[in-house]
Formats: sequence, structure tokens, C-alpha cells
Amino acid sequence: MPALGRRRAFLSLLLALPLFAQDDLLRQAVTLHQSGNIPAAIPVYEKYLAAHPDSAMALSNLGAAYAHVGRYDDAIVQCRRALKLQPANPPVQMNLGLAFYKTGQIDDAAATFDKVHRAAPAELQPILLLGDCWLNMGANKKVIDLLTPVAAQRPDDLAIAYMLGTALIRDDQPTRGQPFVDRILRNGDSAEARLLLGTTKLQAGDNPAALADLAKAVELNPRLPHAQSYYGQALLRTGDPAHAAEAFRKALAGNPYDFTANLQLAIILREQEQMDEAREFLRRALRVRPDDILVRFQLAAIELHDGKLETARRDLESIAKQAPTYTEAHITLATVYYRLQRKADGDREREIVRKLTAEKQAKQAQGLNVK
Amino acid sequence: MTRREWLALVAAAPLLRGASPIFEEVPPSASGITWVHDNAKSPEHFLPEALGPGVAFLDYDNDGWMDLYLVNSGPSDFFHPKRPIRNALYKNNRDGTFTDVTEKAGVPGGTFGMGAAVGDYDNDGWPDLFVTAYGNCTLYRNNRDGSFTDVTKKAGLETPGWTTSAVWFDYDNDGRLDLFVCSFVDYGAAVMRSCGENQLGKRFYCIPRFFKPTASFLYHNNGDGTFSPARAGTDIATSLGKGLGVVATDVNNDGRMDLFVSNDTVQNFLYLNRGKTFEEASLPAEVAFSAGGQPRSGMGVDAADVFNSGWQDLFVANVDQEMFSLYRNQKNESFRDVAHDNEVAQATRLLSGWGLKFFDYDNDGAVDLILANGHPDDMIENYSPTVKYAEPLLLFHQESGKLRNVSAGAGPAFTRSYSARGLAVGDLRNEGRLDVLIGVNGGPPVLLRNESGAGNHWLGLKLEGVKCNRDAVGARIRWSAAGVVRTRLKNGGGSYLSSHDPREILGIGKAERIDWVEITWPKPGATVQRIQNPPIDRYLTIREG
Repeated sequence: MPALGRRRAFLSLLLALPLFAQDDLLRQAVTLHQSGNIPAAIPVYEKYLAAHPDSAMALSNLGAAYAHVGRYDDAIVQCRRALKLQPANPPVQMNLGLAFYKTGQIDDAAATFDKVHRAAPAELQPILLLGDCWLNMGANKKVIDLLTPVAAQRPDDLAIAYMLGTALIRDDQPTRGQPFVDRILRNGDSAEARLLLGTTKLQAGDNPAALADLAKAVELNPRLPHAQSYYGQALLRTGDPAHAAEAFRKALAGNPYDFTANLQLAIILREQEQMDEAREFLRRALRVRPDDILVRFQLAAIELHDGKLETARRDLESIAKQAPTYTEAHITLATVYYRLQRKADGDREREIVRKLTAEKQAKQAQGLNVK
Repeated sequence: MTRREWLALVAAAPLLRGASPIFEEVPPSASGITWVHDNAKSPEHFLPEALGPGVAFLDYDNDGWMDLYLVNSGPSDFFHPKRPIRNALYKNNRDGTFTDVTEKAGVPGGTFGMGAAVGDYDNDGWPDLFVTAYGNCTLYRNNRDGSFTDVTKKAGLETPGWTTSAVWFDYDNDGRLDLFVCSFVDYGAAVMRSCGENQLGKRFYCIPRFFKPTASFLYHNNGDGTFSPARAGTDIATSLGKGLGVVATDVNNDGRMDLFVSNDTVQNFLYLNRGKTFEEASLPAEVAFSAGGQPRSGMGVDAADVFNSGWQDLFVANVDQEMFSLYRNQKNESFRDVAHDNEVAQATRLLSGWGLKFFDYDNDGAVDLILANGHPDDMIENYSPTVKYAEPLLLFHQESGKLRNVSAGAGPAFTRSYSARGLAVGDLRNEGRLDVLIGVNGGPPVLLRNESGAGNHWLGLKLEGVKCNRDAVGARIRWSAAGVVRTRLKNGGGSYLSSHDPREILGIGKAERIDWVEITWPKPGATVQRIQNPPIDRYLTIREG
């Protein structure tokens, strides 16, 4: 995907920051860093920082070095320390955002990229990263608002077209999304085009057709972000949870913080009573969308299965309060109350279930055609 | 035998089982059963077309041999058959063949039939027959001469709408069988309903979610050949469902028969019999919804003391992706789904289940399970590559307290696929082995002859109530053999649209004798009767004494 390529390029830029250090130790660290010997550079930075804890540049570089070797949590600490010293330092903010992104803290990443974008609105990289974060968070309307003017300015930018088209389709605006799909398709059969087509069909409920396009997408490019995840959803909707689980696992191998893949795989595993593994995927999904009701409900259902009734009760009460028409949450909460011998509370929840179900049934019956 | 030889024998056991089928399919050419279900399939895809048929075992002429009843579709407001369509009663010729005696017996049906429930409602010792339908139900009273009389109207059982499974049971313990009838959805009448067209541009069988739910029926037996509506004032009247399956059982061992009802696309119901009323308690009992808090498409149901705990466990079959549930009784009016631990969830992920039965097919004393499956949507394969319209049967054998899927070695019938619906079990040869009859939507029935259990001993009981209902529904049987005490409750109903052999076969495995059998008769008698050292490998009639 073009957007990802640009993201990597931006990280490289950070390593070429101008160096004003006078200290030999710091010079040595930076030389090692620039030569690509990051593991060797890290202890030298650390040694330098022990003596110069307020060196924003050393902190920033060490953050970048940590990120390079996959120590993202450490990178976050260093970047935050650097930003305390130099709050308006876009490259450090970018490093921090990327570290958040890599650790699945997508909402923090989005907030950080948003700051960078506001500081430099013309820069394309923060826009693409911010858009990608919002797509992951399901904030499709924000993506549309962000990218619509950019797409008008850059009609030939396929990365922008792809991301905006995806957001429009996910936001149930297929008519507005179609020109962007066409733009991708004009460039020939590609994984991106198939993914967009498949997503559109999935959204429209044409699951068998979506499955065909998404299968082609993963065949053309198995590593295309979100492709495996959508392919998994299509498999799930066409009744093939076993292969769906495989697709979700592939999606997570490419992006461990793919929200949908984490959630759907967890649901499949929970149904198979593989609770420990399911719980891990749900926790990861929660890092991407910390307040997501569906994820929290699934975790509560596992707590109930495990007999952790008080924890389940607390979580379900919170979910039911936040989403009062979420019938499954009321059903499960009623079950928890009954198991806790709190019959009156159980009966109250049961009555809520009865009302919600009756309302739902009335709506469903209205959907009938009468001949 | 050396240890090595013994281990080799154990390792070869599955192969040995595979070599000798557990069930052998008996073709129409051998059985003489030439009747074929007409599902009335139309381009419009009216939903009743997809739901039948039910089947039943009954000894209609009291000759001691189980006969068979098969339910067909028929005229309705959407179907006007060009040639006569009728139900069929097949008399057991005692040699593995059957003779169609429908006309002589006077039980051809005449409405769009669904299922059958057999019960001796007038306590005269002759089985009567209740047929559910899309349209009016029919009650056939047994004339004790090989024929029946339609007494529906006189009995007050002209149940309207769309009824499915029904069960005879004595809810008030007055010694007479009452009747519960599942009502499905509000369908038809003045208008036909359609969900439009599917992705293929064709009409399809609507998901029942789109139809309004209805309350099921409860009738009290007045003892004079008539029945009175009895659901008013109970939760049965206020619980709107889409009932497809029902079993009458006693889940809390209080001596009163409860009802477990499966509903399609809405929650299941568990009606606890509180003496003067029925309390719907499925949610606190944890049998209403899936573990994820969602209603499923419940179809077939059954109950049995699967794990020999002395308490009734429950089963419900659902549609594909929902998996079936085996609910273990927690002895406090609640249940836990143990389908996964018993290989049931894994085996049923892609299947849609209808007829089913807990039974000890090999007479080893432990409860086994058979499931009949088939997807309701005849176009499902166009939208779902892994789900099929015709589906395989499944057989589970209990080993070391767990059900194990033994379908692969159960016989050729288990390698084929069917659009199966009703299922009933009964001993057609009086050999102590339960055979299986399966109704197939739009096809001939499947008759499976039980070839298992060689060397295992058994005792068949025909219970005859005197103070309690004549069929002794609700009787509790305990028996002891080789130091193991087992229990069985004579439940009513179970499966889907179908009715089973009323006799109980007690398996004792390799034990050479039964120490004792104890019958606790249902109220109002409630006496306990013990028989020491009863004979084995034969049927025994026990009269309430």
C-alpha cells in the first residue's frame, strides 16, 4: 500500500536530523545510529543520557533507536521525555506517534499525528498516518473530512484515493466512494482494487461476491493491510469460520493491532472455548479501541464463563449503562445476577430484555412484504 | 492375553467398529414403505414447505409390534395439490416389512401436516394420535379395532394457526394426559407473506425472524373426551415464541412435569411446573440464549439423564453457525452448556438440526445421541460454500462419561446426506434394539436398523399406569446391574414433530442379570414398585400396583 511506504520513508528522515552535539559520546552514538548499527548505538545513547539527562536530541534519537529495534514502549518513554523539554518538536512527535501506532495505542497515535498535522497541514505523511489511525478506529467520517480536500488537490494520488474510498464505503456512502474505486481500477487489476470492491460488496451484504473479490485481493497481495481481515469477515459471513480464523491470524501477523481481526478471531476462539487465547486478542483489540463495547462485552462473557462473577457484573453494568439498548449485555448481566443469587436484579434485567426484544421483533416484522 | 495383545486390541477397536455398521439403512424395496413426503415446493417458497415431516412409532393395533406413522403436507391456503396427498400408517408385518393400512385405519390427514404426537389420552390402553399442521390439527381417537375416528372438534382441539411439535403429558397429575402444542409463527391467513427475492433474484424461505411470534397451546384433559384451553394465567399465554420442539420432563425432580420448548430466532422457553401454574424460567436457567447472549434458531429438543446424575439434562439443535447445545443440569434449576466438552459443538458448527434423540443404542447402559440434520434453505449453497442443503446424520456414543462423535463408523447412512426433519426411535423387531426412522423433506423416509449391542443385555419395560396416566409419562425408573444404579425418567415428546416407541429399554451391558428394577409411578398414585431379579433380554409389562 502506498501509504505504508511513505510512512517508512518518514522514519528514515528522522535519523538524518542535524546534529549539533559537541560531546564525543553523543557523536559516537549518532555515527553508529546513522551507519545502521542501532543495537550498538543504544547503549552509547544511554550512557550519554546518564550524564546529560536533559538532552532533547539524545532522548529523541534514543527513542528512534528503540523504535527501530522494536522496543516501542521504551521509545514512548524517551520521546515523551524529549517532548517535555521541547514540546513543539514535530519529528519527535512523529516518532512518538509511530511508537504508539506500533504498540496498538491507535487513539494515542491519532492524537499525536493530529498535533503534527495541525502544526504542518501541508505535510502529506502525517495526513496519511492520521487517516490510517482513524480508519482503524472506525472514525470514517473524520477520514472523509480529512482526505476530501487532499484528494481534490491530488487526484492522481492512489494512496489518498484508496484510503478515502475505503472510508466512504465503510461509512455506507457507496455512491461517493465509487469514483475512488474506479480510480484504483483504472490502474488495472490490483489487490487494492479487489479489496475496495470486496469491501463495497461486503457492506452491501453480497457476501458470496465479496468473498470472490477478497480472495483475489489476498491472492494478489497477501500482505495488503486490511485485506486478510476483510477476507476473514467474508469467510465468516459465508459460513466458514475455520478459514476465517486462518485469515484473521494472517491479518494479525501483518498488523497485530488490526482491530477487526483481533475481535473476530477472539469471538471464534471463545465459541471454541479457547478462552485464554481469546482474551489475549480481545485485550489487543482494546488497545486499539479502549472503550469498544463489543470487545468489553466479549471479555465480560469470558469472565462469566470463568466464574469471575463480580468482575463480570461490574463490567456488564458499565456496558449496559453506556449502551442501554445492547440486549446481549442485559441478557448476560441478568445471568450474572441470577448466579449471584440477586434475583430482583436479574428479574429487572430480564424485563429490559423482554422490552428490547419485543421492540426488535416489531421492527423485524415491519420488514415483510405482503403479497 | 498379554498386556501387548490387549493394547493392540484396544487400538484396533475403532477399526472393528467401522467394519460393522451400527445402523443399516433398510431400503423401501426391503421394508415396503413406498410413501414419499411431498413438501409442496413452489417457486414462491412458502415457509411451511420447508418444515415437515414428522414421524411416529405406535402400536396402533396393540399386537405388541411397533407400527409407523408418517405425516405429509396437504391442501392449504397456498397449496392445492393436483393429486391426492395423504399421511401414511404402516402396519408392522413382524418380518421386517410393512403394509400401508392408512385408508383402513382412517388416518390420512387432510391439512398441511407437520408432526405427530401419540398418547393414550382416554386411558383405554390404545394409542391415540394427534397430528399438527399448518391449518387445523387433528385428533384421531383409536377405535380399538384397527381404525381411528377424527374427534378433533368434539374434543375441542381444533387448534388454529401453524402448529409444530406436540406432547402428551399429565401436568396436573390427575392421571390423564394433557396436551401441549407448539405454535410457530403468525403466517398466512388472509395474506401470504414473502421476504422478497434473494441475491439470485428468487423467492426464498423467509427467516422466521420476519414473522410475528405466537403463544403455544396448553390443553387440559377433562376426562370425558374433551379438552379445555389451560394456558390462561400461566406464562405459556404470555410467552410469545416460535415453537418448533418440545419435551416434557421434570428438571427439578419435584414430581411435576416441566416443558422445554425450542424457539426459532427467539429465546427458548423453560416452563417450570409450579403446581398451579407454569413459570417461564429459561433465562435464569441459562437455556434461553447462546453463551454470547443471542437467541438462536432452536429446532429439535430432548431431555435425559445423560450423565447418570439423577437429574434431567437438556438438548437443543440450532441452525448452522450457532452450534447445538447440551445443557447439563446443575441441580438448582439452572444448566451449563457442555456441548463443547462432548464434541457436539464442534460437530454441529455447519449443521442445522431437527429430529434428535437421547437413547442407549448399544444397550451398554449409558445414554447416547443421534441427530438428524438439513438446512432449511434449499438455495443455501449459493451463498455459503461450506454449508450444504442436505446434511449428514450424526451419532454420538457415550464413553467414560462423555459423548464422542462416532458417526464415521456408524454405517453407510451416516456418510450420506439428507434433508432430514423428524426423527423417532423404536424397536421394530422386539429384539431390544432401538431402530431409527427419519422423515425427509420432499423425499422417502430413512429407516435405520440397529445392528449394535451384540452381547449386551437388556430389559424392555412396557409401563401401564392405573392411577396415573395409562402411558405412565413421568414415571421414574431405577435399576441396578453389576453394581451400577441407573435412572431414567419416562419423558414425553422430544425430537422434532415426532413420537417415539413408548416402551423403555434398559441396557445393562455385559451384566448377566438385573438385581432390581424400581418404578416410581407418577401421581396421583406415586407408589414405588420394586421387582427383584427380573428376567432379561425380553419385554416385561409392569402394571401400576
